[in-house]
Amino acid sequence: MEFLLEILAEEMPPDHVRAGLDQLDEGLRRELAAARIPVAALRTCGTCRRLVVLADMAEAQETQDKLVIGPSKAVAFAPDGSPTAAALGFARSQGVGVEALETVMTEKGEYVGRRKTERGKTAGEILSGILPGLIAGLSFPKTMRWGGLAFRFSRPIQGFLCLLGGAVVPFEAAGLRSGDTTTGHKIHDPRPFAVRSFEDYRAGLAERGVVIDPEARRSAILAQVESRLQPLGAKLHPDPNLLDKLVSDIESPCVVLGSFAKDYLTLPLELLSTAMREGQHLFSVVKDKKQLPYFVGVADARGDAASLIVKGNERVLRARLEDARFFWEQDLRTPLSKRAPALKQVVFQEKLGSYEDKTQRIKKVTAYLCDKIGAVQAKETAVQAAELCKLDLVTELVREFPSLQGRAGGLFARAEGFPAAVAQAVYEHYRPVGLEDESPAGPAGAVLSLADKVDTIVGVLGVGVQTTGSSDPFGLRRNALGVCKVVLDRKLSFSFPRLLDKVLAVYGDRLSRPVREVKADCLDFFAGRLRHIFERMGFRYDLVNAALGPGLEDLYFALLRVKALDKLKASPQFEPMILMAKRVNNIIRNQPAAKVNPDLLAEKAERDLHSSVTILEGNLRPMIGRGDFGQAQTVLFRIQPTLAAFFDKVLVMAEEKKLRQNRVGLLQTIARLLLEVADYSQVVVEGEKGSG
Amino acid sequence: MSMSLQDLIMSLQRYWTGQGCTLAQPYDLEVGAGTMTPDTFFRVLDRRPWRVAYVQPSRRPTDGRYGENPHRVQKHLQFQVIIKPSPSDIQRLYIESLVALGIDLAEHDLRFDEDNWESPTIGAWGVGWQVMLDGLEITQFTYFQQSGGLDLSPVPVEITYGLERLEMFLERKDDIYDLDWSADATYRDLRFREEKEFSDYNFNQADVAKLHKLFAFAEDEARSLVQKNLLLPAYDQCLKCSHVFNLLDARRAISVTERVKMIAQIRAVVTDIARRYAPAGEDA
Repeated sequence: MEFLLEILAEEMPPDHVRAGLDQLDEGLRRELAAARIPVAALRTCGTCRRLVVLADMAEAQETQDKLVIGPSKAVAFAPDGSPTAAALGFARSQGVGVEALETVMTEKGEYVGRRKTERGKTAGEILSGILPGLIAGLSFPKTMRWGGLAFRFSRPIQGFLCLLGGAVVPFEAAGLRSGDTTTGHKIHDPRPFAVRSFEDYRAGLAERGVVIDPEARRSAILAQVESRLQPLGAKLHPDPNLLDKLVSDIESPCVVLGSFAKDYLTLPLELLSTAMREGQHLFSVVKDKKQLPYFVGVADARGDAASLIVKGNERVLRARLEDARFFWEQDLRTPLSKRAPALKQVVFQEKLGSYEDKTQRIKKVTAYLCDKIGAVQAKETAVQAAELCKLDLVTELVREFPSLQGRAGGLFARAEGFPAAVAQAVYEHYRPVGLEDESPAGPAGAVLSLADKVDTIVGVLGVGVQTTGSSDPFGLRRNALGVCKVVLDRKLSFSFPRLLDKVLAVYGDRLSRPVREVKADCLDFFAGRLRHIFERMGFRYDLVNAALGPGLEDLYFALLRVKALDKLKASPQFEPMILMAKRVNNIIRNQPAAKVNPDLLAEKAERDLHSSVTILEGNLRPMIGRGDFGQAQTVLFRIQPTLAAFFDKVLVMAEEKKLRQNRVGLLQTIARLLLEVADYSQVVVEGEKGSG
Repeated sequence: MSMSLQDLIMSLQRYWTGQGCTLAQPYDLEVGAGTMTPDTFFRVLDRRPWRVAYVQPSRRPTDGRYGENPHRVQKHLQFQVIIKPSPSDIQRLYIESLVALGIDLAEHDLRFDEDNWESPTIGAWGVGWQVMLDGLEITQFTYFQQSGGLDLSPVPVEITYGLERLEMFLERKDDIYDLDWSADATYRDLRFREEKEFSDYNFNQADVAKLHKLFAFAEDEARSLVQKNLLLPAYDQCLKCSHVFNLLDARRAISVTERVKMIAQIRAVVTDIARRYAPAGEDA
């Protein structure tokens, strides 16, 4: 039976629409399953004004056999088989004659019971009950109230269309009753119209200027763009975020192509495309990666026959480009090097000083990192870029277009004639801004990106600014993800705790919290980010935990460890080895640290194990040192038979204390060795599942 | 012949008074936005219904361009509408106000684009949109959620038209100074000299040391008036603080830390005023 729900609202932001649809999908499936309404199909679609669910579901709850237990058989029936007062009373309470009772075997013995088939409620009744709570429970990045209501939603709700098999599912929420009507395009055809089915709804909206399916809107936009740009042999300057926003925001897509004066082409592409995107949501048009004096806009309109829309946008854009050019040219008159004093006035964080202070710190950390990762050739470039990278914060251009920070600095550096590598490093030092974004392409930019981000994280944690679920004012999570991404993308191997020591030392007494605590917090924080990244890469959570167990001495090695575990997890030795490792850990748990004295090794099995371990240790060191955890594990796994023989023949917990300590010491050596490769105690294997 | 700026004002006044709004007059102090005037600030705090419309000249000293920029001015005109509680068809009423100006919306692209407004100085924020007409921002449309640090209930809706922007759209002109103020006078005639002289004053001549003293005086006065429960005069002093702050900002005489501190100082008095004006749960 077809179910259709439309929540009609005033314009919701794209991320709200996404959040609302995801929760409706998930919530409705969950609630209907709980209410025993089978759902054959369910999907969502919508626009900035409509959250729509379409489903195919059963007409009613599945019928349910129910058994009501009454008195015990011994109580219910006399020895001659005649019903007692208890049986008669029970039958009466069930509304049946005593002959309808049956004997039921329970844990406590034989009882009388009454079996009945309960007819379910209809899906309509269920939905009427579910929907008000489901709608009120939707959460959005930001909610609001309106009118005199206490109800909260993304934006004010204007109506509910809710049909099941063509009939209205009655409910009330946000002071509104559900019905069978909706309205067309807000400007072009706002009159209400009645709907009987989804097809009716889709077609009715289409007639009234609204394309309800987001994918259809996306293809319509792209097809129109293609037909506008083909004659020019040009393309859109790609901007997936902008496209997503327009697909969500526009019910009736109409692509327009406009132009601007060629004079503005002297401005950098980044500046032009930012000026177009911000405010007017226009796309840059490029040919061979060069900006053409055109823009593409997507209007929410049926057409632009009189070219009023395109002309209006051209007028507004001209003003914006004029401003951009004014700022660009004005800013170029003051060389970056002269801007350092102004940077002293810009506070990075109250307790952490100005951006000039930050610049001095990241210069030192940049130089340190270049040495540590062997990027000696890039050092001069990176340090020079560090000196310049924050200066664009005091330009008018970045005041006007804050999203250009970093990139603007790179553009100014290039225009001023700094070496191309320096300009590039400045340009890309904010990257990556998320896991989807790319890391800096050059080594100097990568190092600078790391230094800047780690400086922020250490400093902010160091003065005790709390980062909680929704509050992350300095973007620490994004910064830490950026650090991990750069390290992993570039396969950088260096001691991370020592980098933290360096940054902490450079901060000196600016940080109010004890250095040890800050460092521990940083390591925890990064472990959390790495876990997120590895799980997103598709690694099993227990393998991720195992790989993070040895600690964050080297961030890149953590990836190599999880990869090695993932590769070996299918080998036949894997499970026995894990179980063996767990056994080792279990035995030495709570035992004081002990040293091995070879002279005290009494039995052959333990002497064998000791010599295997000694050889193994020598072999493993270089493998671990170069991050070859695959081979290290393979080698490590070879100890399994010797270890098995040891457990077989030798009693670790010997009566004699010296022998016992010696054996514990031997196992502790093995445990230490294992922990350099992975924390195997975190791995979940078949053999132990379900046993707790 | 398209309508002049004064026609536009009269047309909006006619439209919104037709919707039951009281026509108030511009407030006689420098403010950064129509939102800051007492007809909005105090009237949104209590539970009583309120419908008002008025023009408010608004000063943004940093936007001055010596009369040389065709779009930016240090003083512009806002047309402010406040309706409490927000009516369920307020978007339609707004759209019809544009139609009443003679704009054929079938020929244009009208969009409500996410833009949440906040004014830390008066402890206010709201949720809404900037309304874009063919790419031009003509209106800020906001459902107030808080003002003076208080949750507002019922929720007022604020519609703020940027009159020069809208007039440039109506006249299809590229230069603000070319706008027809009336049939006989241009925007240039009325405003050019003012823009030029005030830009110089705002950016170069305003005496920083005296302004700092003025700020301290007004803040002090505001605090002592609050103690005497003279809330409207106290609020006037806060508005003066706010304007002096904007002038100091235009003089680039405020560091980032000072900025945060000064805003917090004004907000502290303003939220105090709001609390006293509308004690929680009571109809003021």
